[in-house]
Amino acid sequence: MEAIGKLREDIQKELEDVEFIIGWEQGFDALHATPLFIRSQEDIDRLIWNPLCVHNLASYLPQLKGRKVGVLLKGCDSRSVIQLLQEGLIQREEIVIFGISCPGVVDLSKIRARMNVSQVKRVSFAEGNVTIETPQGREEFPLDEVLATKCLSCQYPTPLIYDHLAGEALSPQRPADLLYKEVEEIEKLDVKERLAHWERELNRCIRCYACRNACPLCVCQDYCAADSRNPHWLSQRAGIGEKVMWHIMHALHVAGRCTDCGECERACPMDIPIQRIRKKINKEIKALFDYEAGVNTEDTPPLYTFQMEESTIREKDW
Amino acid sequence: MANSINPFLPKIGTVLKVVQETPNIKSFQVVLNDQERMKSFRFEPGQAAQLSIFGVGEATFVINSPPTRMEYLQFSVMQAGEVTERIHQLKEGNPIGVRGPLGNWFPYEDMKGKDIYFIGGGIGMAPLRTLLLFMLDNRKDYGEITLLYGARSPQDLCYKEEVKEWEARDDMELILTVDREFPEWDKRVGLVPNVLKELAPSPQNKVAITCGPPIMIRFTLQALAELGFKDDQVITTLERRMKCGIGLCGRCNIGTKYVCIDGPVFSLAQLKELPPEL
Amino acid sequence: MSNKGRFLATDKIPGLLKRLGGTYRVFAPVKVSDTVILFHEFKEGAQLALNKQATLPPKEILFPQTECLLSYTYHKDPENLEKSEVQVEETLEALPTIIFGARPCDARGLMVFDAVFNDGQWRDPYYKARRKATTIVTILCTQPENTCFCTSVGGGPTNTEGSDLVLTPVTGGYFAEPATEKGGALLQDEAFALGHNKADEAREEREKVSLESELELDGIAQCLLELFSTDFWKQVSAKCISCGACTYVCPTCYCFNITDETAGVKGERIRTWDSCMFYQYTLEASGHNPRPTKVERYRNRIGHKFSYHPTNYEGMFGCTGCGRCIKACPVSLDIRQVLREVKVHG
Repeated sequence: MEAIGKLREDIQKELEDVEFIIGWEQGFDALHATPLFIRSQEDIDRLIWNPLCVHNLASYLPQLKGRKVGVLLKGCDSRSVIQLLQEGLIQREEIVIFGISCPGVVDLSKIRARMNVSQVKRVSFAEGNVTIETPQGREEFPLDEVLATKCLSCQYPTPLIYDHLAGEALSPQRPADLLYKEVEEIEKLDVKERLAHWERELNRCIRCYACRNACPLCVCQDYCAADSRNPHWLSQRAGIGEKVMWHIMHALHVAGRCTDCGECERACPMDIPIQRIRKKINKEIKALFDYEAGVNTEDTPPLYTFQMEESTIREKDW
Repeated sequence: MANSINPFLPKIGTVLKVVQETPNIKSFQVVLNDQERMKSFRFEPGQAAQLSIFGVGEATFVINSPPTRMEYLQFSVMQAGEVTERIHQLKEGNPIGVRGPLGNWFPYEDMKGKDIYFIGGGIGMAPLRTLLLFMLDNRKDYGEITLLYGARSPQDLCYKEEVKEWEARDDMELILTVDREFPEWDKRVGLVPNVLKELAPSPQNKVAITCGPPIMIRFTLQALAELGFKDDQVITTLERRMKCGIGLCGRCNIGTKYVCIDGPVFSLAQLKELPPEL
Repeated sequence: MSNKGRFLATDKIPGLLKRLGGTYRVFAPVKVSDTVILFHEFKEGAQLALNKQATLPPKEILFPQTECLLSYTYHKDPENLEKSEVQVEETLEALPTIIFGARPCDARGLMVFDAVFNDGQWRDPYYKARRKATTIVTILCTQPENTCFCTSVGGGPTNTEGSDLVLTPVTGGYFAEPATEKGGALLQDEAFALGHNKADEAREEREKVSLESELELDGIAQCLLELFSTDFWKQVSAKCISCGACTYVCPTCYCFNITDETAGVKGERIRTWDSCMFYQYTLEASGHNPRPTKVERYRNRIGHKFSYHPTNYEGMFGCTGCGRCIKACPVSLDIRQVLREVKVHG
């Protein structure tokens, strides 16, 4: 059975026992999906599943703690849930998980960078290609060229936790060594060039906090240190110093917890490649603690614990 | 006048005197450094001003001295947030910024010839004090004046010296109450709305003016309705987080009205026209 | 429009902007990344992007995201350290400015600012001074995007309200027509050639543009008041993640914060953009918050734009239909869909 059929069937079975189930529906045009809160049979009919279903719906869960809900999760999204469970920020018994095996989702900014889609008419996916029709004509190209960067090195195409699974369980198809490719490119720059790179990119940050609010692990939200009035950690100025500071702050707060879902970057209305900052920290965490966030509910994030001797850090050899 | 000067620019004033009213409320008597400005400063009872501590920020307070007594401007400040905490550290002679007057005022013209019934709780006595003193200074314009004033405990009552004066006056009636029994307390005991119900003032030719904590206001409005007060006979003042104080920054709206310029004084009839977002 | 029109060839634009830069601060849409277009102060060699809506409206030029309202300095009395004085200085600066390449929705957005900051009970001297010093050159839209709905809120792709000089795209460049004296003054630059032969083409181009009014907003102000205390807002705001993207990309959102930023004995009182979608926006010192969740905040955002603002300002919506909020929203929350539902349920 096609994944969408299985999803609809499973959702139907569970709908009565939950307040709602969060999935995706078609958004305002052929290129945009949007989160759908399924409460009725009618809503089930609106559900879609395709490479445009980019949102990590786990982001909604911490605020729904205490209510019984369902959620559709791709492989990468399921890692957010594992991380949230590890930290006690959500309760397993309150959530019905509809896992979906996922061959990859698109990065809309990559599509916008290659063609004018402001009047997009139709989008279709077939045999590894995407076809986009606009008033200017029809373009077909390999899906890989516009896949989200995280998908190109995906090691978890099948959710790691679920109650129902739609689609065949997939084994990893992508090379793991691409995981830190962009980070390594920036690491090649010397410190001055690196700072210049980030100042250039982050200069267009507008401090709208879409990155923060889209992040499933940014759970302080309303009490964020970045806009706390008392104590006054960070000026409200929108200068480059504050912008850089904010992103460092965010990256450090999710150090050892970030599952590389990419919601921060995807949500950014200014298309700033901020996932790389988080990814750099992930890389360091991996090197220091041999730890990857969000793969095992029994783990403890490395910065949440202290050991006299970290097995992966040979301090005495320094 | 409002448009000829920069409304974001505070006038610099000096703290003349600090009065510790209660454990967490202080009154500050302030004069503007520019004597001409002080002399020409005009406001109406119920209007507010923003007090500035440069480096910390601004917060809004009612000017609780009446325009009939212009030796200084008085503000009573309860310690609640960052700005009020720093205001509480001010000593006599310290500089302070004053931006105002802001907002509307009590419709004291419409109240002429009527009996006035003040109902205040805690720091909510501050705006009522302005109007009460103003009316006492224009005593012949008004009928009977009654003040029902309550606080959690005797030490939480503000303006203790004045309260004694008011008690002694024969042209007004004062009823004091505290939430529960205290040694040495021989006045009433009970929550303001309950005492109000016991006193059961007649709504005949009367205006009720109430200010206090939100919960007190809620039950006081209920009690007044039960006593037969019509919505246009009840007046209250609202609070909201404010920044600009002049209707521009956006945050203090309730539907179409901005508490900073259309308020803080509203009749219950006016409030009922607004969306229920208090 | 008048017969005072002139022709501005596309290749003359960089030279024009450079010359104007001698007298004015000149802002124009510049491509700053693969996908982002921003109004930047024009520098020679900048990659102009005149054929697409900019990612952010030019409101920042008149209403900076950060601006200094005043500066202050404390002086301690060396004789008595308990005593201090404070000196406050107004910091108001408004240089002659040109915004080149605004869109009709951007120009109309400033009319919302004008109504609030310039023509109300209190005036904002900072905005007012900048507004007076600014000339707006608008490029009419011949290719509206699928997020555009200006015609539904009283504007249109060829609307000239709020503009000083209006450019209609024609073969090889733009047909320029003054809408105000300020705009007409710019036509004296050598970049503008005689343009009689382009007038007809410009008119045809404008007539060709079609963007049907897709929303029926009659009576929406009343609908919104009636829908105030219902579960409706819980449903429509469910997917909102309560970030400020929609407000910061909006050409009409004007809410601001004021904070003091101190270093040593000196500091500045600054004004910064704020967002009604943030929890802190209405949080009171007591801890009370009249709009504690995204439900109340989203309701107020829509209520403000389509009910309170038009009620207070002669029917003018607090929205120009630019569609940026739809494009910028991380969860593609579509304000048009919300308005349609308001009409159905209200």
